[in-house]
Amino acid sequence: MSTQYDVTMRMIPFLDRHLIYPLLSFLELNEVYNVDDLLKAQYELVADTNMVDFIIESYKKINKTDQVPKELNEKREKVLAQLEDMQVKAQKVMSVLEQPEVVAALRQDNGQNLEDLKKSYNITEEMIDVLYEFGQLQYSCGRYGGAADMLYHFRVLSNDHGRCLSASWGKMAAEILEGNWDAALEEIQYLREIIDQKNFTAPLQQLQQRTWLIHWSLFVFFNHPKGRDGIVDLFFAPAYLNTIQTTCPWILRYLATAVVVNRRRKTQMKELVKIIEQEGYEYRDPVTEFIEALFIKFDFEDAQKKLKECEYVLSHDFFLAATEEDFMENARQFISETYCRIHQKINIKEMCQTLNLDQEEGEKWIVNLIRDTRVDAKIDFEENTVVMNTPVTSVYQQVIERTKGLSFRSQVLASAIKRREQAAQQDVSAQ
Amino acid sequence: MHNASKAIDNGRKNNDWTLILSEFDKLSTSVSKATTGFDKMPFPKFYIKLLVDLDQDIQEATQKDKASKKKTNAANGKALNNMKIKVKKLSKQYEQMIKEYTKDPEAFMAEDEPSETPVSVKQVVTSEKPVGDEKQPDLDGFATVGKDGKAKTEQPQAAPDNKPVLVRLREIMESRGKKNTDREAQTSALEALLHRSTSSFQKIMVLLALIASRFDLTIGSTTAMDIKNWKAVQNEVNLILEIIEADPSFVVCEDADELDNDDQDVVPTKGQVVKVRGSVIGVIERLDEEFIKSLQAIDPHTPDYIDRLRDEPSLYALLVRAQAYFEKHNLAQSIPRVIVRRLDHLYYKPEQVIRSIETASKQLLPASVEVKSIVASSPDQLIHELCTYLYNQPTSMFRTRAMLCHIFHFALHNQFHKARDMLLMSHLQESIHQADVATQILYNRAVVQIGLSAFRQGLIKEAHSCLQEIQGTGRAKELLAQGIQQNRYGQQQVSPELEQLERQRQLPFHMHINLELLECVFLTCSMLLEIPGQAQTGPNSKKFISKPFRRLLDFNERQAFTGPPENTRDHIMSAAKALASGEWERARDYILAIKVWDLLPDTDAIKAMLVRKIQEEGLRTYLFTYASYYSTLGLSQLSTMFDLPAQTISSIVAKLIWNEELSASLDQVSQCVVLHQVELSRVQELALQFSEKAANLVDQNERLAAPPVRNDAQKVSN
Repeated sequence: MSTQYDVTMRMIPFLDRHLIYPLLSFLELNEVYNVDDLLKAQYELVADTNMVDFIIESYKKINKTDQVPKELNEKREKVLAQLEDMQVKAQKVMSVLEQPEVVAALRQDNGQNLEDLKKSYNITEEMIDVLYEFGQLQYSCGRYGGAADMLYHFRVLSNDHGRCLSASWGKMAAEILEGNWDAALEEIQYLREIIDQKNFTAPLQQLQQRTWLIHWSLFVFFNHPKGRDGIVDLFFAPAYLNTIQTTCPWILRYLATAVVVNRRRKTQMKELVKIIEQEGYEYRDPVTEFIEALFIKFDFEDAQKKLKECEYVLSHDFFLAATEEDFMENARQFISETYCRIHQKINIKEMCQTLNLDQEEGEKWIVNLIRDTRVDAKIDFEENTVVMNTPVTSVYQQVIERTKGLSFRSQVLASAIKRREQAAQQDVSAQ
Repeated sequence: MHNASKAIDNGRKNNDWTLILSEFDKLSTSVSKATTGFDKMPFPKFYIKLLVDLDQDIQEATQKDKASKKKTNAANGKALNNMKIKVKKLSKQYEQMIKEYTKDPEAFMAEDEPSETPVSVKQVVTSEKPVGDEKQPDLDGFATVGKDGKAKTEQPQAAPDNKPVLVRLREIMESRGKKNTDREAQTSALEALLHRSTSSFQKIMVLLALIASRFDLTIGSTTAMDIKNWKAVQNEVNLILEIIEADPSFVVCEDADELDNDDQDVVPTKGQVVKVRGSVIGVIERLDEEFIKSLQAIDPHTPDYIDRLRDEPSLYALLVRAQAYFEKHNLAQSIPRVIVRRLDHLYYKPEQVIRSIETASKQLLPASVEVKSIVASSPDQLIHELCTYLYNQPTSMFRTRAMLCHIFHFALHNQFHKARDMLLMSHLQESIHQADVATQILYNRAVVQIGLSAFRQGLIKEAHSCLQEIQGTGRAKELLAQGIQQNRYGQQQVSPELEQLERQRQLPFHMHINLELLECVFLTCSMLLEIPGQAQTGPNSKKFISKPFRRLLDFNERQAFTGPPENTRDHIMSAAKALASGEWERARDYILAIKVWDLLPDTDAIKAMLVRKIQEEGLRTYLFTYASYYSTLGLSQLSTMFDLPAQTISSIVAKLIWNEELSASLDQVSQCVVLHQVELSRVQELALQFSEKAANLVDQNERLAAPPVRNDAQKVSN
């Protein structure tokens, strides 16, 4: 149970080293895996980066010594020297860029910017590239703020398309690690625009980039206050839905959670159900099984069981831990709402059992539900039941309903046509 | 030639144009033969003279004709006309010489006389010609030459031993492909030669020639090679491969230069590699095709067919062996071709059969033969490796075929989702119409197999949509290349060439997908979808899920008397009717009585799945049909009626309610379904329909109005 539903392993190939680190430390906290193994994994993770201090620390932890190997110390010296060296080089450009009049003169067009700077400040393309390298180095050392800054400037000035793209990825990672969710959200939008361009290299690469974007965006969406809207919008876009289906079906868990938590977007539920049903053979975990039990099999007991499993899974998931409570609450509402819509008369006692509440609490809950969801229902105290008033729409009502908007719509249409004609006439007379 | 010209002179005297025409034809051909080619003689002057004379005669004759129309008989007149055209044509050709002749006939002819005698070559030719000409009166030109050629081959056969092998080989090869050569004699001559050849080089050369001559034995593209010959070729190909495997200094490949060895034996020095021109892959492909052709020709229900099929492992072994050889010598062109052939032999076979053919072929091969690029032993791994190799090929045809074979294999082994995903991801549906016919057939086969595999897993809807593509057209037989469609009345007769082509495309029987099973599966799926659908929308609805099924059902209902069902189709129709009236048990009995199910693996599991589906669909149909007559329905009663657990019943009902297909709700306390549906009166129904149509109208208006708005906006901005 503990590791069965853990998707960290599947996600790691699609993430950056630095982004994996928080995942691993979360796993450490949860004590799902062997602690020593995790430590070793962490060490291997950072061994290739330039975060020397960190490497030393985790080395100490693993080997349980205070001795630091010589090569690590040497590496530390080297990295520091390198940093200083780059700093000096980059300083030239930065000093120019920090002047307010330069900032004001910068425009949308990268090529133009570079031309201007070349003319007035003598900045060459190599110097711009220094920015990129410095940003990379800083990122590798764990100084994310500085890296984001450098990469931002680089992106404004550079003409190199490939490097700009990787600079964007770097900046996004840096913002995520810094916790600048607003900036990261912007980066997501920016990257999405680039990737979705029609002439974006090979389809396979496009698919890969989308997969990355999906994974990286999880960091943002589950931390940014508006993220829950964003995740639903992004993942339900047809291109991204296809990506999820082909390369990373485990993302369905996050999508399902987002839809359940997002009460305002009920229409999306149907779409989600369709996808989960379709992909059931590829991927299943308690969250998708919960949806399946509730909306495909209509098996309320099973849904209840799955919900309990969900609780565990969510609390052990790096991204979802924070949304656990929300999810449970909303899921319960989904259950009862569905239940009420299907049933006409419900025994409160049994209802409470399925919802895992005691009688009094259950009654309160139902009352709340009636109030919140505006279900037309009454509690019959004598029989201890809830009676739903399923509104039966008569044929007349149906006909009225269907034809209500028609005349209005036609009117709008007619006026639109009239307006167009007038515009055309004006055009003719103007000519 | 002179004889002919004399005959023509005679004809001219008698005014016999038919004689002139035939003699002139002979003369013209022998002249054109004699003056072209290797040992040509100078152009015969008398021919020119003749032409001019004839021209005059013809003019005279036509004038005479005009004067007295009756005199000449029909045949003569026709010949005259023909002659006229011919002479006109020829005189244009030899214009120059005719001019010279007309200028000074004496000098022109005189010039000719001396030149004729001294040349020795010409004498040979002229001396030979009369021999042929002497026989002309009783034999036509064809036979004479034929006899000539035959004599040529017979003569060396009598005394073969004197000449060196390669010289003889060259002689034989030179006569190959000529009209008059007797193919069988040639083959046996080569066989004799093979016994005499000693060195590897000689053997290879003779074998290559021998194989080619064996293929020559079958004439025409439709008749299959006879089996004895086929086996001989197979042996010989094996022999070649054996020789070149053992002797690495020889390589047989297509791009070798012509060896210029003056009929001497070639003995390579150490380390030297001699390239011999020949195409192993070509021979093997041809062998494979002949195998399929012979299977097509044999009646599949006879033991002969099975005997023939027993040759498949050895053929397969040959393919493997050839592949090893190509890999060893890096003949990159040939490897994918041989792999495609291997795949063609494997993809439609179930796992056990693949395994057995693999082991059988391994036993047939010497241990030294090893294929490097494909090493897997388990069947699915083997298919995977073969296909992956082909995916890496630049030619899209290989990739497409490999993809389809892979899909077929997955579908056959119950991996429906994998197969379907692969098909969807390959985007073949969009481009398959441009592919060649064989690939389209393979595509159809793959699609049908996917449908069957979906059915085996109980995915009725998917199965139906896959099978509809092929079975729904009513031409499944044709689309799967498993038989030629009978011509229906009133249809245009297919031209014989097309029919011939179609016959060639047919798959051998052992590769067939059982058509009856296919139809049965398709109709069962249609029934399970169509009957509840029909019950839901009402009997007059024109919405079809499956048109062919609906047509069959309508036809069945129109019949005055329906007897007990006899064939598969009848069974399904009866079951459908029973299901529509809510009697799921009868429907089940009808469906289970179909014998074709036994052809599916895991028959019992599939039957259980079918029963379950019939119960569920029966319940849905029942609810749709009779909802308006009940106000409540007990869940437990439904449960006993349809023999399903109450849990399933409530979940099915809940689904119907949730999707708003059934206006009802569940009463948890009394455990029953409360139905709100009321039977609509005619007026109400019409009113609903009318309102729907009105809404549609407005929708359509909006859609019509929408696009010009955008255009206008653009115009304005321009």
